Formats: sequence, C-alpha cells, structure tokens
Amino acid sequence: MAGDLAVYSMGAVERMLGIPAATVRNWEERYGLVKPGRSQGGHRLYTRAEVEQLRFVKERLDQGLQPAEAHRLLGEQLERGGNFRAPEEGQPGPRLLILLAERDPYAAEFAEFFLRTEGYEVVVALDADDAARKLEQRLPQLAVVELLISGGTGAELCRRLKEAGVTACLAISTLGARDQALAAGADAFLEKPLDPLQLVSTVKDLLGESAFLQGATSR
Amino acid sequence: MTERLSSGHPRLDDLLGGGLPANSINMVIGLPGTGKTILAQQYVFANASQERPALYLATVSEPFDKILRYGQTLRFFDPEAVGHSVFYEDLGTLLNERGLAGVLEQVSELIKQRRPGLIVIDSFKALSAYAEGAEFREFLHDFAGRLSAVATSSLWIGEYGEDEIGPAPEFAVADAIISLSTARAAERETRMLRILKLRGSAFAPGRHAYRLSADGIDVFPRLADTLDITSYPLDGSRSSSGIAALDEMLADGYWPGSSTLCAGPSGCGKTLMALHFIFNGVRQGEPGVLATLQEHPTQLARIVQGFGWSTDEKGVELMYRSPVDLYIDEWVYELLEAVERTGARRVVIDSLTDLRLAAPDEVRFREYMYSLVQRFSRQRVSLFMTSELADLFEVRRLSEFGISHLSDNVVLLQYIREQASVRRALTVLKTRASRHEPEIREFRITPEGIVLGDPFVAEAADQNEPRGH
Repeated sequence: MAGDLAVYSMGAVERMLGIPAATVRNWEERYGLVKPGRSQGGHRLYTRAEVEQLRFVKERLDQGLQPAEAHRLLGEQLERGGNFRAPEEGQPGPRLLILLAERDPYAAEFAEFFLRTEGYEVVVALDADDAARKLEQRLPQLAVVELLISGGTGAELCRRLKEAGVTACLAISTLGARDQALAAGADAFLEKPLDPLQLVSTVKDLLGESAFLQGATSR
Repeated sequence: MTERLSSGHPRLDDLLGGGLPANSINMVIGLPGTGKTILAQQYVFANASQERPALYLATVSEPFDKILRYGQTLRFFDPEAVGHSVFYEDLGTLLNERGLAGVLEQVSELIKQRRPGLIVIDSFKALSAYAEGAEFREFLHDFAGRLSAVATSSLWIGEYGEDEIGPAPEFAVADAIISLSTARAAERETRMLRILKLRGSAFAPGRHAYRLSADGIDVFPRLADTLDITSYPLDGSRSSSGIAALDEMLADGYWPGSSTLCAGPSGCGKTLMALHFIFNGVRQGEPGVLATLQEHPTQLARIVQGFGWSTDEKGVELMYRSPVDLYIDEWVYELLEAVERTGARRVVIDSLTDLRLAAPDEVRFREYMYSLVQRFSRQRVSLFMTSELADLFEVRRLSEFGISHLSDNVVLLQYIREQASVRRALTVLKTRASRHEPEIREFRITPEGIVLGDPFVAEAADQNEPRGH
C-alpha cells in the first residue's frame, strides 16, 4: 500500500506529531515498541504505520496518561494485531459525504470537482426530487443547496435535509437571499458564482478540517 | 456593491464606474492595431495572483509566441509571474484538431486545474470560423454557461467592428463591451475608446481618447462634466488683473474663480495681459500655471524678461506644448494635473485659437472648455484665456467658439486707426455679477507692461479720437 511504502525522517515525525525528537528517541530506548529502520547513514526512517503508532501514544498523553501507560496500551494493541496502517491518501475510510443539490450542470461539475479534490465524497442532485432520492440512499454529513433548484424550492429542501439529520446545510444562490436561507435552517450562505477557495473553506468550517485530515484524526 | 475588476489604470476604471464587474463576460473589440491585446494583458497583470491566477488562451489569429514576445515589451509584463500566477496556453492546435468541442473540454479542465480569476480568449472571433448558425450559438451557450458557473471573469478579444454588434450573437452574451478604434480628422488620427455596454452599472458615455505605450493603455476620459448645481463658498475678495487701471474698470479686479476671455487681433497685447495676470498672482502668493501653445519657452523667457519678470520665478509653472500633433483630451489632463500639483490659483490658456485646432470637432472643444471653466470655478482657480480675432480694426464677431458666453468677463483689445498710425484700445465688454466701466480706453505697451490711458470721448470715438486729444 502506498502509505506503507513511504518513510519519514525524524524531523518530519517531529513536525507531523509535535513531539520533540529527543522524546521520541527516549521512548524508543525506554519502551522499545516503535523501532524505526535506519538509512545507510544511520538516520532513523519511520514507516507510516510507525508514525501512526507514535500518534496513538501522543493522543493518550493528550488524554492525560503517562508515557509508560500509553506505551503499555500500545503494546496491547500491537499484540492484538492492531492495524496502524494509514489509509491511502484520498480515501480516508468511509469519507465524509456531501450532497450537492445544484440545478446548473456546469456549476455542479465544478463544485463537485473542487470538493472531491479536498477528499470529500460527493453525490450530485440536479433537482429536489433527485436530492430526496439520494438522501434515502445514504445520509450526507453536509448538503450544498442551490436555493433556486426546482423552481426555487431550495430553502424548503434545506429544511427537509436538516430534519432528516444532515449535520450542516450550505445554501448557495445568485440572489442575495442570505436571510431567507438562514431562516430555513441553512448554516451558511454563499453567493454564486462560487469561488473554489471560498466554497472549500466554508465546507471545512462547517465540517471541521478537510476530509483528509478528518480521516487521519478520527482513527 | 458589485465587486470590480481593475484595469490597473484608475482613469479607465473610473470610466467603467469603478472597473469591469467581476465574474462577468467582457468583450474588447477593435480592428487590428487598436491595442486589444495590450489592454487584455494589462488586465491580466493587474489582477493575477497565485490564489486567483490569470489564464491567457490564444486561439488561431494571435500567434502564441507573438503574444509573449510583444508582451515582454510592456513595462507591466512580469516574466516571473508567468507559470506561477499567469498562464499562457495555446488552443490553436486543439481547435484545428477537435474544433469547438475540444475548446470546451480544455477550458473546463483549465478552470478545474488553475482556478483562474481571469480568463482571456484571444481571439474569440476566430472561434466563429469553426461553426455556423445554430451550432455556434450552441457552443456559445455552453461556453458562457461554463464561464458563469464559477467565480471567474473573462475577456473575449475580437477583431470586430462596431457594425458587427447587432448580428453577432456573442455580443448578447457579453456583460460589457469595450470598443477600441481610430478617429481621423484631416491628417490627424486619434485613438478612441468607447464603452458600448455595461450591465448593471453606469459608465461614462462617448468616445474617450487613449494612447498606447510601453505602460499600456493611457485613457483620457472625455471631459464632459454635467451641470453641478450644488453650492460652493464665495466671498467678497477680488483677484487683481495686474493692471491697476483695469482693476478700477472692473470694480477692483476679477472674482476669484472667474473666467476671463481676452480677445483681440494679433500683436495687440493679449499675451502681455495674461502675463500681468499670472505674475501679479505670484506677487499675491497665488501660484499660477501658464499653459501656452504660442511662444516657445525661450521666446517667452525673453518676452517676460523685457517686462521685469522671469519664467523661473517660484510659483510660475510653464506648460508649453506645440500645437502640432496636440490632442486636447491629453492636454486637458496635463493641465488639471499641473494645477493640482502646484496648487495653482490662477491659470492662463494662451490661446484658445490654437487649442481649437487640437480638438477633433467644435462640439468636443466646447464640451472641454465648458467643463474646464466649471471645474476651475468650483476650485476657485481664476482662468484667463486669450483668443485671436481675425479683424484688425473693426471687430464684427467676438468669439467663434461660444466661449464668450461661458466666460464671466470679456475684455476686448483692438487696434484703432489714426491717420498714419495705429493705437491700441481696451474695452471691458462683460463682467458677470459685477459692475464695470463700459469705456473704450487707449493703452500703451511700455517696459512696465500695459499702461491704460484716457477713455476715447464719444464724438472722438467715432473718429477714433481719445478724450483730450
């Protein structure tokens, strides 16, 4: 798997996890659980799995455990054959799903592309009925709803999606219908045409981080 | 307020009500050589950033390499931006191999990859050769749909004439249309920019002169100020003409901010009267701009010196331009800039006769003069203009430009024939909002400048005789 082929230097591990290099070396000597390979020059090279093992320890420390206790739990996990491999980049397990309800096929094509490049799974519905069908198949975490979809019933769709359990609804429109959207339960509003950076950052604001990072931190 | 796309040139942006509307489709049209590509590149480098790069797509009429080669001669062209925030792509080969469908796909891909804030298609008109009728309209609908689906502005460049706007369907799609052309009057050619369409925004109508240089397009918006009826402060102070006896005739001088027309035949003393006005202002602590189209600075320095003044004096800005190949549009902006820079309170234009030749037509000349007089009046900058009269002795007509109607004060200089000699006479014909002495007074030109003599008596005036002679 691509994630296991990659190796990381001590400096990279330090930056990725925020653990000082001296601490990592100390843990290696003291507990002997995470033992990286060495380069020809003798430098430590961590696999992605080893990085994830160190992340496991770090998360336990953040929860208030002592290093020895955290390493004991890590040892148990390893004995049980715990899988510390990182999923392939771009496929973080069951990815966060976004329902994109957009009447304009060109706008839908671009928005879908920009969201997918951020690691989200996207289903597109070109009218409100299609959106309802997609909703029944799998509950999305977030919906992007064009307010003028299906004759201007986007606000109503927003309300129904929220009632069905969609965590967040981002309303979009060429009209400055922000107040109407928020009154219908939308969590945010963006005016069209959409700026790719703004779309992605608003979605991240609503879901927290990008899909890639969410996948990594949720493991 | 609608977000705007700047050209990087404040005066052009002003014409467009602040700039082209962002995220819109804009057309720049004009015959070859009018500067369309230069204007497009100006927009590119004024707006491109790493987050919102600009895409320049060459089709088949503008060779890709030429765009780059000549682009580099422009001062704003930044080679380091190319490949980082400015991307040039050649669609010519694709267009020849796959036609318009290939263009649609490629543009969509580029939007996804580059996420551009601005896309230039040069030339868009060349695309129309790859489809006809309904097929081209279908392409147009598809293309405009893709460009409108994301936050990006586009410039479609084309070698269209203004007469093609009606029949060509792309103009209906465009949110803004800028036309570049050349106006010809006798042997003079003036480049003219005109905004033909701007959706959802006011713009400056009419033809606006522009120049092309390595700095790009420099526009001189047509000076056609509308009547401004808002009040502005006035007080009772007066501006001396610099000639004591004339001040008496004018009830102690001109109003500050007033405009004065001094008309007279050649050699009668108009320029000297203007010099009195400027140098007296300097003595009063009022800087002045002497905008002359008559004497070369060397000639003028000698004339001025003869009366005890100097063009090098602090507070005097000499703005000499040759009337040959002068364009009133550009000249007016130079004058306005000089007044602003120097804080001038007095301005001389010597002469209107020369300036009229620099205007493409009389209507435009009147528009410019009306606007200038209004602007200076509101700024309380006193304006003194000279105008040459063809009649040496018997004045039949004062001003052929209608400027005397605009002016607050009109002073007539004329020659009076007296047997074998010629004498000079001055008459104040008009002073707006002020009384004046309606006399015909003799004057002489001395080393101290103009010196007024006695009025001509009524009977003697008929015989060209001053009182007491």
